[in-house]
Amino acid sequence: MSGYVKPWNMANEGRGEAMATDEMTLERLAEIAGAYGASPDLWPAGERQAAQSLLARSAEARALVQEAGELDSLLAMAPAADAPSPELLSRIMAARPRAATGRILSHQARRASLWQSIARIVWPYGSAAFPAGALAASIMLGIGFGAALPSGVTAEGLSSLGLAPVQSASASTGTAGEQLVSFALAENEYPEDWKK
Amino acid sequence: MIDASDDELVARVALGDEAACRLLVDRHLTRMLALARRMLGSHADAEEVAQEVFLRVWTHASRWEPGRAQFSTWLHRVATNLCLDRLRRHTTDDIDSIPEPQSDGPTPLEELERQDLARRVDLALQGLPARQRAAVTLTHYQGLSNIEAAEILNVSVEAVESLLGRARRQLRVALATERDEWLRKTVEYGQ
Repeated sequence: MSGYVKPWNMANEGRGEAMATDEMTLERLAEIAGAYGASPDLWPAGERQAAQSLLARSAEARALVQEAGELDSLLAMAPAADAPSPELLSRIMAARPRAATGRILSHQARRASLWQSIARIVWPYGSAAFPAGALAASIMLGIGFGAALPSGVTAEGLSSLGLAPVQSASASTGTAGEQLVSFALAENEYPEDWKK
Repeated sequence: MIDASDDELVARVALGDEAACRLLVDRHLTRMLALARRMLGSHADAEEVAQEVFLRVWTHASRWEPGRAQFSTWLHRVATNLCLDRLRRHTTDDIDSIPEPQSDGPTPLEELERQDLARRVDLALQGLPARQRAAVTLTHYQGLSNIEAAEILNVSVEAVESLLGRARRQLRVALATERDEWLRKTVEYGQ
């Protein structure tokens, strides 16, 4: 192999698709077959023609490629993959994108986001579910008591029912309904918000 | 639709077109499964990787840019990286985990020998370092060019050739006995 000159520059793309060369040596063919095997289809496109030309005129080149072909034959004996299982196909298809569902979800997400924004403005202390629930319960309680009590019940009358009247601004103003609503609201966890 | 390109199918997948999803799976699942099976040596692991590959297709379909890359090359890249990640997490290859070939009922001697040889070739492949195994799988088994393999492995074409050369040298040593057996059988059975 004396006097061997590499037919390509290591830095160029001579092994790729773009550049073809007519030069080929046994040493380079040994490298190609040693890396890509005996099938010219797998050889670098840019050197394939030159390698096949050398193969046609050199018994030594053919011996090199035949040796690579023996390893190829062994590699071809490796077990092939089984066919995809029906379960795998089902799992993949079950996870596929669904346009309609996606639109509904994004619409719902936008609506939820709008309500959440409003709730955050009204109640910036975390989840708005608690004060909203407490408010609703208070109102219902007030309405319930209001309906159950006879008209004309005053703050004094509440004492006889075991309910301590609340000292609030609305307590001094008049009707039993107002007093009860005030009482109910004053039971809130944050009474300072309601006593102002 | 059967003639639609991969790019066209991916665009339809992004819109939730079930037929496009199914066609894309039909086109590529078997090859992804084969790639993962060669890399991991286990059908169950290969199915998990193949599933993950398609979940990523479903997730990223709306952001796919036609013409920027070949879809099948992108798929190979995703599958190869998923396999390399798995191999990185399990650095010691458990040779015993590779299943014995199944044989139902009496099997002719020639078939038993073929199965045994296949298992030993599989063991030799699983004994390769992960990136060498990936290079062999992509070029020898998946039939990709050196340029495509370089793109998938994110290395130069020269680096791919180096990986392949080292891999085949190691395989030649590991399978020296098998090579002699195979040559003998070729003569015996006239294959």
